[in-house]
Amino acid sequence: MLRGPNGSGKTTLLRTIAGLVPLTHGRRVPPTSVLYIGHRPMLLRGLSARANLAFFSAFRGRPADPTDALRRWGLSALASVPVERLSAGQRKRAALARVETETEAVVLLDEPFADLDTDGVVLLRAAIMSALAREQAVLLATHFHEELDRDARQLLVLDAGAVRSL
Amino acid sequence: MSAVQRAMLVAARELFAERAHPDGLAAALTFTGLLVLLESLAFGPGRAREPDVAGAAFWIAVTFAAILVATRSFDRELEDDAIDAVLALPGGRDALYAGKVLALAIVLAIVAATTGVLSVFVNSLEVALGAQLVLVVILGVLALAPVVVLVSLLALRVRARVALVPILAFPMLVPQLLAGTNGAAAALAGDATAAFGWSALLAVFALLYAVLGLTLTPGAFD
Repeated sequence: MLRGPNGSGKTTLLRTIAGLVPLTHGRRVPPTSVLYIGHRPMLLRGLSARANLAFFSAFRGRPADPTDALRRWGLSALASVPVERLSAGQRKRAALARVETETEAVVLLDEPFADLDTDGVVLLRAAIMSALAREQAVLLATHFHEELDRDARQLLVLDAGAVRSL
Repeated sequence: MSAVQRAMLVAARELFAERAHPDGLAAALTFTGLLVLLESLAFGPGRAREPDVAGAAFWIAVTFAAILVATRSFDRELEDDAIDAVLALPGGRDALYAGKVLALAIVLAIVAATTGVLSVFVNSLEVALGAQLVLVVILGVLALAPVVVLVSLLALRVRARVALVPILAFPMLVPQLLAGTNGAAAALAGDATAAFGWSALLAVFALLYAVLGLTLTPGAFD
């Protein structure tokens, strides 16, 4: 679990691990595979949630039908609807369904609870627990749901770009 | 999965999105169609039929269309940070570049074919060497797309991207524009040797800029 005040560098850290931010010094040793889901859904408009998710898993060389994952996230009826016609919460759910369709060694989640309703939060907690049970490492940055800190294997607090506590 | 397969996936993703919201294609077709009509009016029926004039007008229209389509394509990628999802995938940077080039070339081929047919009818053009003309158009489109996508990527996070992309791209596109214009003029006039010569030059440009783009792309995203 990654915590810290606004501007402390949580997003930058996650994006750096994902390879989206260049290093000013040091060396990145990337894990074999990383799944990064930002605070925005990162889904291409014009495509459905199903098409977006199928693209990602096919790109990783493990084509998978996302129908079951989308059903678990309550999007069965909306799986074929272009993502721009979904609500913010529904787009977030579709994005987070990637946790189930792309079972990468490292999962990076940036503010995953934003836009989610209560049911969505329950689904996300279950998805994270399932990922941990599959021996995936999950790094989650959020301001919300401090009760989740109890479930975290490690708690990392950032402040002004530096680690304040571990 | 091979790099080629990944690029094909990105191209397919792009084309499906364009099919759902053909903003770029519609804008490009409208623009090139109007340009052909205006050119016909401005030059008059006699001048507009001259191979040099018709070739130049055609490639200027297609070049602007390439900028329009690419700009819309990257606008779509920036909405909801969709582009970051691809960049974070292993091999995503190269695949994004190659896939965008491929998709842009396909959309441009549609625009070029439509514009070409319209130009032939509106200006009553006589095409002496049809096959060579098609070859020039295909190679010209393949020579335009790598440059336009590369410049669009370089200017991706710049606020004035819409103005910057044409300013950066056009100096790099002058050789392709000249080769395309001369090749089309030669094909229209019936000079097969010249048409093949310009086609070969366009093929070299296409290869050169594709390699340059694939070399520069990883750094361009940083």
